[in-house]
Amino acid sequence: MKRYQLVPVGDQAISIEFPNEINPQVNLRLQALARIIIQSKLAGVQAVIPAYHTLMVTYDAMTTTLASLEHQLKQLIDDQLTAPLPPRRTLFIPVCYEEPYGPDLADVADYAGISAADVIKKHTEKSYLIYFLGFLPGFAYMASVDKQIAMPRLSKPRVKIPAGSVGIAGIQTGFYPVTSPGGWRLIGKTPLTLYRPDAPEPFYHAGDEIKFEAIDKPTFKAIKQADQLGHYQVKVVSENA
Amino acid sequence: MPNLSVVQPGLQTTVQDLGRITHQIDGFPTSGSMDQAAHRLANLLVDNPGKTAVLEFALVGPTLVFRTETFIALTGGQFSPSLNGKPIPQNQAIRIQKNDRLTIGAVETGRYGYLAIKGGIQVPPVMGSRSTTLRIGIGGFHGRALAAGDQLPITTQNVLSAYAHRQVSQQFLKHFCDPLLMLQSPLTIRILKGPQWHLFSTQDHQRLQHQQYRLTADVDRMGYRLAGKPLVTQLKSLLSEATVFGGIQLTTDGQPIVLLADRQTTGGYPVIATVLTADIGKLVQCQPHQLIQFQLTDLQTAQAELHRQTELLQRLKVSFIDQRYQNPIGINRAAAQRIRRLFP
Repeated sequence: MKRYQLVPVGDQAISIEFPNEINPQVNLRLQALARIIIQSKLAGVQAVIPAYHTLMVTYDAMTTTLASLEHQLKQLIDDQLTAPLPPRRTLFIPVCYEEPYGPDLADVADYAGISAADVIKKHTEKSYLIYFLGFLPGFAYMASVDKQIAMPRLSKPRVKIPAGSVGIAGIQTGFYPVTSPGGWRLIGKTPLTLYRPDAPEPFYHAGDEIKFEAIDKPTFKAIKQADQLGHYQVKVVSENA
Repeated sequence: MPNLSVVQPGLQTTVQDLGRITHQIDGFPTSGSMDQAAHRLANLLVDNPGKTAVLEFALVGPTLVFRTETFIALTGGQFSPSLNGKPIPQNQAIRIQKNDRLTIGAVETGRYGYLAIKGGIQVPPVMGSRSTTLRIGIGGFHGRALAAGDQLPITTQNVLSAYAHRQVSQQFLKHFCDPLLMLQSPLTIRILKGPQWHLFSTQDHQRLQHQQYRLTADVDRMGYRLAGKPLVTQLKSLLSEATVFGGIQLTTDGQPIVLLADRQTTGGYPVIATVLTADIGKLVQCQPHQLIQFQLTDLQTAQAELHRQTELLQRLKVSFIDQRYQNPIGINRAAAQRIRRLFP
């Protein structure tokens, strides 16, 4: 866990690189670090962008130097590596796995050699860490789904995936915040509006946990209506510190 | 609020500042001006802070009518601008009267042009930035490119200190962002080793540096795709990492894509090299078919270049302040004379 490297990327960024793997402990450490770097307001630091095992820190080379920033970052990281991790939040996202929302559910069931109902059970019984948001605004890279249902992505991506679709790509799972092309295996859909151009900031962030809850079609319609009127509250459970 | 009316929108005219940089953590592309050097110069010429929102236009600029008095400056690619039918120069401050009509026309050299208006374009910021991200429809003017009939909020501006001196010489431009460089072939673009450089073979390192690449027609605000003899190193898939402005990704076919203002925040392709921040403006002003030669340099040189560019702008700013009481005094004096007439 203590192994990391500072790698300059271009002339105005440093990547903090941890071992090359998808590991929730490493990623949670990295998320905590991202928060501390933002709060520390180091001179010249412009943005931090986490991914699975890397944390990019971009800076203004007119305000600070690489050497000075590396020194400050090393101190922050070394202090942080032994600190307790901050408490986590779990957000509950309702998902309807019925037709026509999960066009690939039957294929995933075949791949796993189990029934569709068991695929849903496996997908909803775990909670998933948001490792990072990328690709599209609010597109959350979450892992890890049960190995049995970890079906690889489609060989030929779909041209148009409706917003709200929930899918699997190997051990990753996620939802599409906006309609877009994509190759993930679609197993359901959430009635929640995940991206609003007039209020674009997502209600979930890297470091949160997501737990999916299976709902039927009438509930899907009811939640969709309530959410559009702004009356639906996503259930959030915070871990005790 | 007074406004700026759009008569003809041009090909792709958007409001841009220097980008929505702090929200990459939630997956938002930074966007912002493609040629940030030209963006800063335009703002400096009308005494705006560097990050003030401007209009960016590509290939064909807009035709606009100003419904108030203000000052403007045009920078970036060379267009054929005229004010009420009379040609006007780029790279200098221009006085605008109420109902003046500015026609920017088609590009002659380069690709992107910038129109700074004193006081800036007053669209509401979205998550701390006025930049437009077309792909997701946020920021700028209702999240989209301008259309005929749009009215953009601007402010009335009557005074610009050192007005008559707010212009830059060809000599300055040559040092800052030489427009004539665009006519060079091949155009040299300096690069640094990228985070995945070491995963490529020596042969690929050589090929990247020594062959001439041709810019394809696949160029937009997300990225510019180049074509050359493909690199051959086969890499197993990588875990996604954050991207940087100017990162050179190698796709599975061995061809490079330079990631630009509207790039995705994260990507899984190897980044073999990155374009110097100081050279990004030069690259984005290229037209398809332009020949490009990469030249490897080091971080020290890259940052020194960036300092040099910033220093040039800083010196220009100081020279404007120094010249503010030198003849011709211009707009300040005009205002003083008007006041004297009003209160004899």
